[in-house]
Amino acid sequence: MPSSTSSSDPGAGAGILSREGALPAGLRLTASQRPGQAQPVPTRDIPSQPWGRIIVGVAIGLVAGIAALEVNARANIGLHAGDLDNSEITWTNEKLRAAGAPVAIVGDSRILFDTDPDRFEALTGIRPIQLAIHGTSPLTLLEDVAADPDFKGLLIVGLADTMFFQPYDGYGGYVHRFAEFRAPYRIASNEIDHVLQRRLAFLDSNYRLSVLAHRLDPNFRAGVEGPKDDIWKVMEVGEHRQAWLWDRVENDPAWRARTRWAWKGFKEKFPYTPKLIAKGQARAKAAVDKIRARGGDVVFVRPPSAPQLRVNEEAQVPKAKGWDVLLRNTHAVGVHIDDLPAAQGLTLPEWSHLSRKCSAVFTDAYVRRLTELTPRLKLRADAPAPLGRADCVAGAATSS
Amino acid sequence: MIFNSLTFLVFFVAVLALHNAPFFSWHQKKINLLLASYLFYAAWNPPFVILLWVSTVVDWWAAQWMVRAKRQNTRRAWMVISVVVNLGMLAYFKYGGFLLDNFVSIASSIGVAYAPPKWDIVLPVGISFYTFATLSYTLDVYLKRAKPAQHFLDYALFVTFFPHLVAGPIMRPTELVPQFASKVRATAHQLYFGLSLMILGLFQKVVLADGFLAPVVEQVYDARQGVPTMIDAWVATLAFSGQIFCDFAGYSTTAIGVAMCLGFAMPDNFRFPYAAVGFSDFWRRWHITLSSWLRDYLYIPLGGNRYGPARTYTALMGTMLLGGLWHGAAWTFVVWGGLHGTYLAVERWLKGRFAGFKPGPAMIVALGLLTYVLVNITWVFFRAKTFTGASTMLQSMGGMADKPTPMIALLPMIYALVIVGGIVTTHWAMRDKTLEIAVERTPAWLVGSVLAVMAVAIVAEQGKGSAFIYFQF
Repeated sequence: MPSSTSSSDPGAGAGILSREGALPAGLRLTASQRPGQAQPVPTRDIPSQPWGRIIVGVAIGLVAGIAALEVNARANIGLHAGDLDNSEITWTNEKLRAAGAPVAIVGDSRILFDTDPDRFEALTGIRPIQLAIHGTSPLTLLEDVAADPDFKGLLIVGLADTMFFQPYDGYGGYVHRFAEFRAPYRIASNEIDHVLQRRLAFLDSNYRLSVLAHRLDPNFRAGVEGPKDDIWKVMEVGEHRQAWLWDRVENDPAWRARTRWAWKGFKEKFPYTPKLIAKGQARAKAAVDKIRARGGDVVFVRPPSAPQLRVNEEAQVPKAKGWDVLLRNTHAVGVHIDDLPAAQGLTLPEWSHLSRKCSAVFTDAYVRRLTELTPRLKLRADAPAPLGRADCVAGAATSS
Repeated sequence: MIFNSLTFLVFFVAVLALHNAPFFSWHQKKINLLLASYLFYAAWNPPFVILLWVSTVVDWWAAQWMVRAKRQNTRRAWMVISVVVNLGMLAYFKYGGFLLDNFVSIASSIGVAYAPPKWDIVLPVGISFYTFATLSYTLDVYLKRAKPAQHFLDYALFVTFFPHLVAGPIMRPTELVPQFASKVRATAHQLYFGLSLMILGLFQKVVLADGFLAPVVEQVYDARQGVPTMIDAWVATLAFSGQIFCDFAGYSTTAIGVAMCLGFAMPDNFRFPYAAVGFSDFWRRWHITLSSWLRDYLYIPLGGNRYGPARTYTALMGTMLLGGLWHGAAWTFVVWGGLHGTYLAVERWLKGRFAGFKPGPAMIVALGLLTYVLVNITWVFFRAKTFTGASTMLQSMGGMADKPTPMIALLPMIYALVIVGGIVTTHWAMRDKTLEIAVERTPAWLVGSVLAVMAVAIVAEQGKGSAFIYFQF
């Protein structure tokens, strides 16, 4: 068999230049120098170096680097092991689980953060499948579930009015490319990733080298919104996409202020014209009808937002034109935050999402109301006592 | 699966262990490699393994019957069968939608409203690469450049060998099949240097291409609204020149490293292309295994330079147009190939016209920079999804955009320019060397330090498994 690689063990005394087949400058011939002929077995040189020592040094450097990344992530950034990335593959895993499930949730980040599945399960005996995606139009996800013939359960659509009627899919547009994320190697990589993320805090996509490097730009260039203006990390994600507000945003005033600023008051750049809202209403009705036609049902939930955001949201999509018409057109029941006395005055640290403790209170309130509105959810006989503001807001009066 | 995935890490460790296990015979180890390669491919889409089998079996038997044939017509018939089956699969999966779209457009232009069902065929990963690899087998046998493989297992492993399967380097059977003849196992130094090449390749892909260059490119080329300023357009295009090099050369380097860890040698696919002076030089340095494949199996059979200038220029342009189409089923890729064909033709004419011209060092650098700038013009058509997009970019690059808006923040722009500047400078410093020579002349502590920094950067970048650009080809 032709020799394909050159030996170069240190001490052999032969550098690449002196090896058989090497051109004067150490170059190898390539196929480009051999036109119209069968190409021979390639020659690959191994540079004369103490490779064993080099590799040991690289391994030590790698371990030290990973340790430094982990220490910094935990001590200085506030990341936690067990915070699983909210990946597309994980979403598709849950989507498959949703087929045949009694309850699934779609929507934007509010219903994603503000629903505590543990509380949901304690109240009803059912653990909902969480399909909501941050930064995504709930309408897109409603239509996606409507297109799935295997889903015949109760779909809870959580919405912020502006997100629901926005004219594009948003971050979760990837749901249209479902098959792309079901490649076996991607599923396997996601599982391995989760195994590592349960133990290592630094494996957070927000903590990527390039992401951090790009965010160092404090809008140096006039006219360009740099990455620093983007939302950085807002949420933590547990098993089966259970999500909640990142505790640093919840507890660190600087991070809280920074995130509030990044929302820019939820003032969208495009106008919510009557035509745009009417189009959204028509799409919603078609999707709801489709789910009902095969035996499923849909309910809507409007989680809270702070007055600083609510005023802008209301200005863009008034409740009377958005929410009220939506329920009327679809003949669906809905639970609006305004209709939940037990969930008033909850803590919204960065104005858009509830604190982790308050998400349990909101979940408790809206699920109890849903059990009164739909026969598909029943309160367990041994359901825990109702929660109230005092259960999550320090100094608040005892729960009602 | 892709090299920059955690699944591959586990897969590779398992393959290495099996390949070095003392209790397997060489025959069994080759079977292990073959099965591992099928697993590697099936990790994208299991049914597409059938395409590999079809290609493998058809070409094996075509070559077998070719050598047994006594008449030239029979030999030719088997060669044609091989070509038709391979290119037929490629045409169906890769160009079916493109052909249909063009047919509909032509029909529409003559007033025929034809609305066929949507062509919803998934492109099998790497089909262009393994189709060319298997075709070279039957064509080499037909052209009597090579004898057919003696064992089906060796041939099947040549087609499927996972390091080169989905994105090259495009290997010829004569380069790989002989390596399967007797027991191969990497020495410790081959293993370590192979691992070092993998670190280098993954650093290029994960950190430079995906982490720092792709966001800058996407900011401009994928902008939903607005027209970029001249600076933004140039920075995005230069960043793309760096991204596609780091993406593809990174894949090739990783593939070479993977094969080396197993004891196999794969050919160079890149040789510091951005230090090319002229376009024939560029194509001797960029995607070498494709350009030499096109030369050997398309340009030379089309007549090459044997039948006068007109035929030469026609063969040259035909080869580059098809080379463009090989990269993607879109007219923008054809234009990309056409531009390169034009560059090559003009260069050929100029070389004939000024045959005695010997450029000095400064002129060489100037010509090299001109080559790089002109290559960047072609990248616009390669990256833009439409001619409208390409036209907008070219107008911006020419300073003719109407009401342009800045798009790239300053620091990402600086990162991109530093990286691309580093790539071009490195290519010039290395244009007459090999990586191995440079590594051999570098102190061991520095080699180790650079590799350690690259390895940590790969981990810090995390690399969530984004696909290599060339997988779509």
